[in-house]
Amino acid sequence: MKRPLHPLTLWIWALLTAIGVVSLDSTRVALIFMGVAVLLVKVRADGSPWNATFSWSLRIAIFIITIRAIVGVLIGVPIPGTELFRIPILELPSWMPGIRIGGAVTAERLSSSLHEGIIIAAMIVLFGAASALTSPHKLLRVLPFFIYEVGITLVIAASVFPQLVQSLKRIRKAQRLRGIEKIGLRTLALPLLEEALSRSLQLAESMDSRGYGVSRKRSRYRPSPWSKRDSVVAIISIVASGFMVAQ
Amino acid sequence: MIKFSNVSLIYPQSTKTILEDLSCEIEEGEMVLVMGHTGSGKSSLLRLINGLVPHHTGGILAGDITVDGISTRAVKPGALAHLVGIVGQNPVNGFVTDIVEEELAFGMEALNFPADVMRKRVEEVLDLLSLNAIRDRSISTLSGGEQQRVAIAAALVMHPKVLVLDEPTSALDPIAAEEVLSVLHRLVHDLSVTVIIAEHRLERVIQFVDRIILIEGDGETSIGSADEILQRADLVPPIIRLARALNLSEIGLSVREVRRLTTDLRENVVAHPEQHNSLNKNVIEVDSLALAYNKKEALKKVSTQVQAGEIVALMGRNGAGKSSLLETIVGVSGPDSGSVLVNGVDPATLRGRDRRTAIGYVPQEPSDLLYLQSVKQECESADKENEIALGATFEFLNRLVPNISENTHPHDLSEGQRLALVLSIVLSSNPKVLVLDEPTRGLDYQAKALFSLALKEFAQKFNSPVLLATHDVELVAELADRVIFLAEGEIVADGRTLEVLLSSPAFAPQVAKVMSPQPWLTVDDVISALDVK
Repeated sequence: MKRPLHPLTLWIWALLTAIGVVSLDSTRVALIFMGVAVLLVKVRADGSPWNATFSWSLRIAIFIITIRAIVGVLIGVPIPGTELFRIPILELPSWMPGIRIGGAVTAERLSSSLHEGIIIAAMIVLFGAASALTSPHKLLRVLPFFIYEVGITLVIAASVFPQLVQSLKRIRKAQRLRGIEKIGLRTLALPLLEEALSRSLQLAESMDSRGYGVSRKRSRYRPSPWSKRDSVVAIISIVASGFMVAQ
Repeated sequence: MIKFSNVSLIYPQSTKTILEDLSCEIEEGEMVLVMGHTGSGKSSLLRLINGLVPHHTGGILAGDITVDGISTRAVKPGALAHLVGIVGQNPVNGFVTDIVEEELAFGMEALNFPADVMRKRVEEVLDLLSLNAIRDRSISTLSGGEQQRVAIAAALVMHPKVLVLDEPTSALDPIAAEEVLSVLHRLVHDLSVTVIIAEHRLERVIQFVDRIILIEGDGETSIGSADEILQRADLVPPIIRLARALNLSEIGLSVREVRRLTTDLRENVVAHPEQHNSLNKNVIEVDSLALAYNKKEALKKVSTQVQAGEIVALMGRNGAGKSSLLETIVGVSGPDSGSVLVNGVDPATLRGRDRRTAIGYVPQEPSDLLYLQSVKQECESADKENEIALGATFEFLNRLVPNISENTHPHDLSEGQRLALVLSIVLSSNPKVLVLDEPTRGLDYQAKALFSLALKEFAQKFNSPVLLATHDVELVAELADRVIFLAEGEIVADGRTLEVLLSSPAFAPQVAKVMSPQPWLTVDDVISALDVK
């Protein structure tokens, strides 16, 4: 098993790197750090269910880059330069000056849209990597008590969601076999809601009978100590980020 | 340890009394079984012990329950967490964290145990339940038996004096069930933990228990030693039925005891008459079927046929590929290679009504098919869908389980009634093939007998095949003509029920164990063989 880092370390790294990437505002650096994040997840993935969330942040990142590029091409202020192609201009009323839909698409305009998209995507990927590699349960443990109480409720609510998706699939399958081809709100929602409700009640019962909330103070199993390795990662992040900001 | 004094329980908006004037005392280190029909209030009784009833569920409670001197009226369930460990019917729904080790620590963290104590206790309990190998696995990837053990471990780690379990083996295959029960047995004997357990499959637990609380269903309860209660109860495991049918002077609780009582019987009887199945047309044809999920092979080149009028049981460990095979046969998941034909048609191509009339499917959770407000509405919608006489489905249901009020909401039915309703709806489209996925979870012996009768009738009347996946050996012995045994996605045995069940001790039904080497599986087999003689 890989030696665990302190749950906060990777978040510190992600936060500082993100600050650096934004202030340096360079596409190349943003792409490099996205690559680093992908590599990091590959190396440090420990098979926990949260690892799977990283592929979702990658998808969201690609989605953002695409949307930003499309919107940048269609709408916006014209940037002069090499013209790639031209799309028809949509006439806008005179009280909307400065905004243009369509028109000439220049290489400069395209690359500036892509550049912005990539910077935003880099944020998503960096934080995506941090959250995929740190179980929220572990993260919550190192946070102050009052956040913990709220947080654990959120985590449980979040863990109910994948279960709901699974139940939905199961119910749909069974109903297709009864010959119900149409997806009806009533045919699906009723069994699903009932299951979700009974599950949450069972979970509440289980937590209650295991003493949740009885003691004002809560101890921590296997506290996560801040190690030398964590300090090294944090210092490197601070230096790198400082360097990028200073540039 | 636990003291019930004049306990009565009734739920509001219900006319049924769950318990009336129950008084009893359960000693330290005792193992007590709670039995009764489905829906008679076994779970309510169990949850009274740590106060979940009435603190969580509501209900009017009279009398008092004390655990180790603490009254459950006075404190909330959480305050008893160090004293009573409770494992629910469906442990998956009770897990709070996602890693085994964290789940074990959850209760101790809540009670603010120091870290070093927690570490020591987690190690202890990991060893006790042999969970060390899976300590940092994610809970959702574990098998049913492993999850059940994790749930028990999470309760035990608090060092409770009382352990309460609600149907701990109902979702488990016979081998995993035996594992769980032997752990409980050890806890009672080595650590003097008091264990209260509710279970329908009495044949699995009866030899371990000291006393039985029988809930009659109308508020009446009786408490006594296993012998006393089973002498007169109407829900009894096969060996007790055997003892009664043979008019033995006493009943035995374990296979060994009954074997001693029936030595002469086994020796003086001729072998079981052979039953020859006439050759029939193949209805389901499966040819070198392969299926994989996430690079894991679920089925490896499976080939088999099912003939008209045949009842086939699909058995095997949790995760052996039973559900995958059933789902491909009914056509919800397409195979990676190979083919499935049902009456010459690929089931994956069927839609809507055609699918319904080709294959009837009863899913693992029967309630997945129910979405209307009353039994009457469900039945009428089935009548309309299949263009049969209005009321025909309800009539069929009434024959299956009499006395269901047609205005009942489907979710207020007992497990057995709900299964009967779903079965009636599925059969109302008059399917050519019937497929069931673990239909008898949570059913008592009576409901199971009714259910087997309905399936047998269906198979005979329409000469249609029935295919069911199940862990229930006793049901298979009563019902199936043929058994297909799956392991790791491959068919390892396929043959007549008698041959397959007798060839493996873990899967042999009780009567077969008692009567070995005579080839009898059920009480009826024994009786008819004795009559021939």
